[in-house]
Amino acid sequence: MTLDFGKNHWLLFGVSFFGFIALAYVVGIGPAIWVQNHTQPLPGSVAPTALETEGLKIYISEGCVYCHTQQVRPLKMDGVWGRPSAPGDYAYVRPVGVWQPYASAILGSERTGPDLSNVGARQASDVWQYLHLYNPRSVVEGSIMPAFPWLFDIKAAAGPNESVVPLPAHYAPATGVVVPDARGRALVAYLLSRRQVPIQGYGGAR
Amino acid sequence: MIDVISTTTVARPLAVPKTRVEPVADSDSRWVRLVFSYVGWATAWLLFGTLVGEYLGIKFVAPDIDHVSWLSFGKLRPVHTNTLFWGWSSLAMLGMALYVVPKTSRRQLFSFPLAYVSLVLINVSVGVGDVLLMNGINNGGQEYREYIWPVQAVFSIGVTLIAYNLIRTIAARGIDEIYISNWYIIGGLLWTIALLVIAYLPWYQQNGISETVIQGFYMHMGVGMWFTPIVLGLTYYTLPRLLNKPIYSYSLGVLAFWTQMVFYSMIGAHHFIFAPIPWWLQTVAIIFSVGMVVTLAAGTGNFLLTMRGSEHAIGRSYSLPFILAGVLAYFLFSFQGTVEAFRSLQALWHFTNYTVAHSHLTMYGFVGFLIWGTVYGLVPRMTGHEPSAVWVGVHFWFALVGYLLYSGALMIGGTMQGRNWISGSPFVDSVTDMLPYWLWRAVGGTLMFLSHLVFAYNVWSMRPRESAAIRAGVAASGAA
Repeated sequence: MTLDFGKNHWLLFGVSFFGFIALAYVVGIGPAIWVQNHTQPLPGSVAPTALETEGLKIYISEGCVYCHTQQVRPLKMDGVWGRPSAPGDYAYVRPVGVWQPYASAILGSERTGPDLSNVGARQASDVWQYLHLYNPRSVVEGSIMPAFPWLFDIKAAAGPNESVVPLPAHYAPATGVVVPDARGRALVAYLLSRRQVPIQGYGGAR
Repeated sequence: MIDVISTTTVARPLAVPKTRVEPVADSDSRWVRLVFSYVGWATAWLLFGTLVGEYLGIKFVAPDIDHVSWLSFGKLRPVHTNTLFWGWSSLAMLGMALYVVPKTSRRQLFSFPLAYVSLVLINVSVGVGDVLLMNGINNGGQEYREYIWPVQAVFSIGVTLIAYNLIRTIAARGIDEIYISNWYIIGGLLWTIALLVIAYLPWYQQNGISETVIQGFYMHMGVGMWFTPIVLGLTYYTLPRLLNKPIYSYSLGVLAFWTQMVFYSMIGAHHFIFAPIPWWLQTVAIIFSVGMVVTLAAGTGNFLLTMRGSEHAIGRSYSLPFILAGVLAYFLFSFQGTVEAFRSLQALWHFTNYTVAHSHLTMYGFVGFLIWGTVYGLVPRMTGHEPSAVWVGVHFWFALVGYLLYSGALMIGGTMQGRNWISGSPFVDSVTDMLPYWLWRAVGGTLMFLSHLVFAYNVWSMRPRESAAIRAGVAASGAA
């Protein structure tokens, strides 16, 4: 039994494997446990409704997170998106299903489109959100966001409790009217729920 | 007999004459077929994954090109990244490891059937995972963790079986020393197995912030503790083998190994600078991102000093230029990662397309090129069939120019994006101003994709064929 890493494979591989796990505990698992135990919902925040949670699932499923952050940094240039994000903003982000037994990753890593932390306060109109989702270019010239027509139904006429998306002629289908389906309604409910809870001295939606 | 050469009739060859490989010594056809199966499947995933990438690049300049759910950007982006991670890069480097580990251990691979089981499991996980992603069924996670846990579990079993297979091979080695390549290869396998388990256990990822801490850790280690060590390990074999001289310093390789394990492990949180995760964790990540320069300098210096004095051999080889380009990219673009971790520069570049450029410079310019150098360097030595030097050259230049164009455009554009945001102009300006850069990115991406078609052709021309034909070919080229 030699203690030479170059000759004793069990020593070399054992130290590599368990050493890495120890390091992973220091900068991964340990801090994760700590923040999990020390994060509380912000005072005044409310738990998401069933519909909003359904909307979060659509948000994750459609991959919105690849172009939109929900993470306002404590930098001057991020001021347009709201107050700096706090850990408590994410306390209600919880696992959503058996295939997603983790909290959903919504902080994002790229801002090809705007930050959405406070979009419910910034664009509070559901009509605008539906128009934008059906085809973003119908309301924002120069947008490169994908259109999401599969979150809508095209019907001959709207039902009693359905609202028609008032599309400009150029984007409207040749016949029939466009109404959001259940998934589209859930997603918009989720987006409208993205309102930062005020923290005294740091701002937020009213 | 001397020809009189007239200045008017000099025939200029398209490529400088390249050295041919020596006659095949590794005649175990079972082994050759196994390694080639990995390379072949990897190449198929490369073509698929980069075709998807090409299409995604087009969507930036033509967002209404289709209105089909499973072709939408949000569904296809993880298909692109995961296919190229787990399908192409992983299978290609594992296939070459299945050659290098037995070779440097002077022992036959422990189990051939087991290695095929791993190949099937990894292929199944990538195939099923991609179909699920296109249907919007994902893990809810971010980059490189999008396959749902049953899919990634299948992948992990495949990787674990390869680790077992190779460790048994090394344990039964025919020499006293564990060659340095095997430190890196087994290190990468063991770290990644641990990493996948850590990333997919749910108990400490139950709210948005604890999940983010793990995501930062995972996202970096998925690259830095998997692709980096294993392709470096392959290079520690391929480079000395192709140059026919020993590695410059064994001890530098050992130093780089341990610093890789300690420093790289600490830097994951630099993906979430300014996020509401603990500030000390971000600072630790930045400090060790600087420490990483030690690893980079030791590794790159070792390779470059090994190459010193062999410039002619590199110019005469069709595989060594890939390795030279890959080694330089390793240093330059990992160092770029160090610089990007600084808070002052994160403020400018975070969330911009600069990050996309960085990930392509490293995964493509570093990992991809070292894999290609190893494949071109070693596969002909197994099968006895060489690709055409001209087509390898076309692959090299299309890939090199393509990725530099791609990344150059996104680095300039990304910097502009950041400056746009700082200046406080309307957000949509940062989108419309990017259009020319996205167009150049698509042009670079097209060159990259074309180079992969050439690579696939070259792989086909290196395929193992009947051994009698190989011997006849060797005899013929020996007589010429």
